[in-house]
Amino acid sequence: MQKIDYTKYKLKTKIEILEMLTGHKRVYILSCNKCFNEFTLDVEPETAELNKTLNEAGKTTIGFMALDFLCNKYLTEKALNNAKKDIEEADAVAVISCGVGVQTIAELLNIPVITMCDTVNQGGYHGISLNPEKCGACGECYLSVTGGICPVVDCSKGLINGACGGAKNGKCEVSKEKECAWENIFRRLAGQNRQNILIEQQPKLRNYNLNSVDFVETYVKSVQAKRNEGFYGGIYPEERKEFTSKMAVEKIAAPDLVYIPLQQHAGAVCEPLVKKGDKVKAGQKIGDSKALVSAFIHSSVSGEVISVESKKHPLLPFPVPTIIIKNDKKDEKDTSILPKGTIDTIKKEDILTVVKEAGIVGMGGAQFPTHIKLNSSKPVDTVLLNGCECEPLLNADQRLMVEQPEKIITGLRLLMKATGTTKGIIAVEDNKPEAFETLKKYIPEGSGVELLQVKTKYPEGAERMLIKRVLNREVPRGGLPLDVGVLVNNIGTAAAVYDAVYSGLPLIKRVITVAGTGVSKPGNYEIPIGMLISDIVKICGIQIPVNFELKMGGAIMGFPQDDLEVPVIKGTNGIIVVMKKDDLNEEPCIKCGRCVNVCPMELKPHKLVHYAKAENWDKSEKDGVLNCIECGCCEDICSSKSRMVEIFRKSKKMVRERKK
Amino acid sequence: MHFTELTKMGKFVITSELGPPKGFHIEKALHEAELVWPHVHAINVTDNQSSVMRLSGLAMCKVLKDKNIEPVFQVTCRDRNRLALQSDILSAALFGIDNLLLLTGDHTTLGDHKDAKPVFDLDSVSLAYMVKHLEEGKDLAGNALDGEPPKFCKGAVVSPCAEPLEPQLFKMEKKIKAGIQFFQTQAVYEADKFEKFMKRVKEFGVPVYVGIVVLKSVGMARFMNENVAGINVPDNIIEELKKDKEKTKSGQTGIEISARLIKELKPLCQGVHLMPLGWDDKVPEILKLSGIIAEKG
Amino acid sequence: MLITRVKKKDAILSLCKGKTLLIACFGCKEVHFEEKEYQALKEDLKTSNLNISGEIQLDYLCNDDYTNKRFELHKKEIDEAETIIIFSCGVGVQTFAGLIPGKTVLSGCDTYVLPGFSGFTPSSHDCEQCGECMLGFTVGICPVTACSKGLLNGQCGGAKKGKCEVSKNKDCGWERIYNRMTVLKKDDLTLKKMIRVRNYNK
Repeated sequence: MQKIDYTKYKLKTKIEILEMLTGHKRVYILSCNKCFNEFTLDVEPETAELNKTLNEAGKTTIGFMALDFLCNKYLTEKALNNAKKDIEEADAVAVISCGVGVQTIAELLNIPVITMCDTVNQGGYHGISLNPEKCGACGECYLSVTGGICPVVDCSKGLINGACGGAKNGKCEVSKEKECAWENIFRRLAGQNRQNILIEQQPKLRNYNLNSVDFVETYVKSVQAKRNEGFYGGIYPEERKEFTSKMAVEKIAAPDLVYIPLQQHAGAVCEPLVKKGDKVKAGQKIGDSKALVSAFIHSSVSGEVISVESKKHPLLPFPVPTIIIKNDKKDEKDTSILPKGTIDTIKKEDILTVVKEAGIVGMGGAQFPTHIKLNSSKPVDTVLLNGCECEPLLNADQRLMVEQPEKIITGLRLLMKATGTTKGIIAVEDNKPEAFETLKKYIPEGSGVELLQVKTKYPEGAERMLIKRVLNREVPRGGLPLDVGVLVNNIGTAAAVYDAVYSGLPLIKRVITVAGTGVSKPGNYEIPIGMLISDIVKICGIQIPVNFELKMGGAIMGFPQDDLEVPVIKGTNGIIVVMKKDDLNEEPCIKCGRCVNVCPMELKPHKLVHYAKAENWDKSEKDGVLNCIECGCCEDICSSKSRMVEIFRKSKKMVRERKK
Repeated sequence: MHFTELTKMGKFVITSELGPPKGFHIEKALHEAELVWPHVHAINVTDNQSSVMRLSGLAMCKVLKDKNIEPVFQVTCRDRNRLALQSDILSAALFGIDNLLLLTGDHTTLGDHKDAKPVFDLDSVSLAYMVKHLEEGKDLAGNALDGEPPKFCKGAVVSPCAEPLEPQLFKMEKKIKAGIQFFQTQAVYEADKFEKFMKRVKEFGVPVYVGIVVLKSVGMARFMNENVAGINVPDNIIEELKKDKEKTKSGQTGIEISARLIKELKPLCQGVHLMPLGWDDKVPEILKLSGIIAEKG
Repeated sequence: MLITRVKKKDAILSLCKGKTLLIACFGCKEVHFEEKEYQALKEDLKTSNLNISGEIQLDYLCNDDYTNKRFELHKKEIDEAETIIIFSCGVGVQTFAGLIPGKTVLSGCDTYVLPGFSGFTPSSHDCEQCGECMLGFTVGICPVTACSKGLLNGQCGGAKKGKCEVSKNKDCGWERIYNRMTVLKKDDLTLKKMIRVRNYNK
């Protein structure tokens, strides 16, 4: 079908422009990178044209700025603040954009803002694909009785009770190019043998008062508030947590064989401490590394090492050295597993050692070694415990909070003690009231631990978003939470810290939610590290339906697993089965702006896609692709079905490689 | 008879307002008009006032004209696009209607057909501009009219007690520029504010006829304070209405207040415009009490 | 931008015949599809003995390429149904109805318009795309949209305490223009001098 170009505005004539700029000599030009084209140009031509007009008229252009989506008040305000000094030098700001952009700028600046364009309606709607179907948004849809052809827009007179009699040879009286909508309606209904409906229906009257001012005001405000609530952007995916939210954690016995990769953390891969034929105990250290950033690896079972070889890893794209152990089912514990103290008795420095020895990493998925975070030289004033679990389907953290509140609170206090901070906050999303209420009961007075309920929004569990929401601090781009004095940890991590101190148990098991379509025994399970997904599939009776896929992690950020012969690792919080993304082709970006609206890192994802396609890694880097947290909000909302996360992973890799 | 002529002759212009009936039986409205007519120079006929559907103002004007009562044809932009407005105004010329009052009109949502499409193809300024075109023998699209062009006396409205006043003055100036020759005002209860307003508009050199709405009750005063634009009934007047409940029922206090206001405001302006809102029978008494007589001819 | 609200049962039920397939569009996620209302209506239709043969949830139904492809994917369900109710904006319904002209397609939603363009968070500002932008004269506040009557030549006199006669929640657009004018362009007489008549034929 012929795609149409919704050219929304055009530069006014020179005469008009100069008339409006009478009395303004020094002009700053602000232009919007158009949203109505398919994305082809980096620089829109109007700015140069306007600049020429102004210069010829003896005016001084004191600066330019081109922004994406001027109408996005939040991002535009930030950009304007950065250029404030220059802009304030001007007598007037000349804006090249549609009317919404001009008004947004006028609201934000205290100098005359002058429009340079006329906004024109080409029919159709920006942001709803580029096809010519139109909707009059009349608020009382007639399409049901008009065969799906809209009389409000397709009839020149917007008649809703039938043809006017002005059509000749099927063409409207207004133009011979235009078909008579009512003739089309009649023809279609006759084809369905429903033409009588036209006679049966009562005469209709339009109600022009449906979209009242009050309704619009209330609606707009509520959506805007939601968009900026706590942190910028984000989405509200279907939660689907009810499948397992009430199911208590069940232990799954260790299988015959465990596959323990020597890399289950950010940083350097570990060296094996055992070889084929060695006997190992549960909790015995079997891998370590002298590298600055790494985390020790322990056996989750007692038995015999049958092989150390490179195996497929669930997250990494290359094989990783893996220790395969035959379980002797005796579950003999390593002698090192002894209580190390309590919150009151253990020394600050010892906590760090215990955490390091236990191989604890961030259990929310990022798997950053916890002891490195604890050992930072940067001052920390708050330890934030992330009880958001904002991914759909997952309940592992929620169950821990409900079932082992004391462990979590004490784990947090241990983390506070280790960093010498007096303030700890547990942030729980408001879709987990049970967890919130339970924790509330167990927080000891005077412990410095606060409990906070936050409104649910994805990706609140990402540390930057959580910090913004809870403490209203902004982690600088390229920076870490520690740069703003915050240490963020996962619920599971806090529980692991507790275990390491109170029983001396290293990180060899974890709670995982198994859920989704085709899972006959969904639940929250305590699973030994190294257990193969294929074993879990058997135990939980998982049958993956056609068009569905199994993911490790959450529904949005999780990694699809084609090969199920890969093990559970320290960061695995879920094994879920979800519908595959539509097998729809990626279409050209129509600059609808949705991705910019939802990106919590305040990036311009559509541009990053454009740069990636052009293999322009300079611009990719400049526009901040390295800051992408791969949360997938942009991809979720993309109306052109761009596989953005995949594209950005590649971009990041390319940018990093070039740096080296 | 053009108002402005009367003003030029130094006469204090008196007008009253009449709403056409909801229906086509005009006997009652005509009776009221006949009652008021001896005391006024002209009677304004409203145009679906407050967006409540009624008989056409143009038809009512024609009926009055036939009875030798001088009508002022009120025209709003709410219900007609520029084609309908021009043809109605030409029709007015046919009927010999001299005076027009050109307004924007209340929004449809205020009236009894809330679902209706509000037109507002033109507004009060562009409407005046359009009439000026007709008077120059052209329609708004620039096409020549057949024969002698019509000639009207064109009025508009202004709210002297509006807060802020500046946007009103701003628009008043635009209206004058678009050819407006006289102003009838929104109801005034505050003489001091009106005085200030008159000082500001003196330079425009256009006659102003002050609006008087007869107060029927305390409730009405309060309602207007809360809801009606540009109207503020001061506390002392409300107290006065309150004290005299008995009399107010008969309308006496309201009549007295109106008469007093007219006396007070007369020296400041060039005429008075009464809006009795159904109490047309009280108009003669108010005018009598205020001591003004419509000098005709 | 467009938003939708789910129709009442009575507006749909009498038009349905035979096996009925529901298709819901969850696109335009910057605004909120009335999911709860949709689920409630679905239950209500079921208890009213409507023969619901299936339900498909999609997004961006307005994109005819995608809709075409999905149409093939769900061909069987679509072919089997006698009536199809589409829960989307008018664009989506028309796109779909255009693909299957021989089948009864009903619209399950009413579509309303909000300020701003689709794809963005709804704006507090609206642009009617009038084609004769006068924002340069009105200090960046649009009289066409900020005034309930879209007046181009000044306020109507209906505002009280700065609020529009239409709603106490709406500021008078022309008062806003005036107030900003006094701050930014006090001496500018251009706006005062011009008389504007809108051209609806742009």
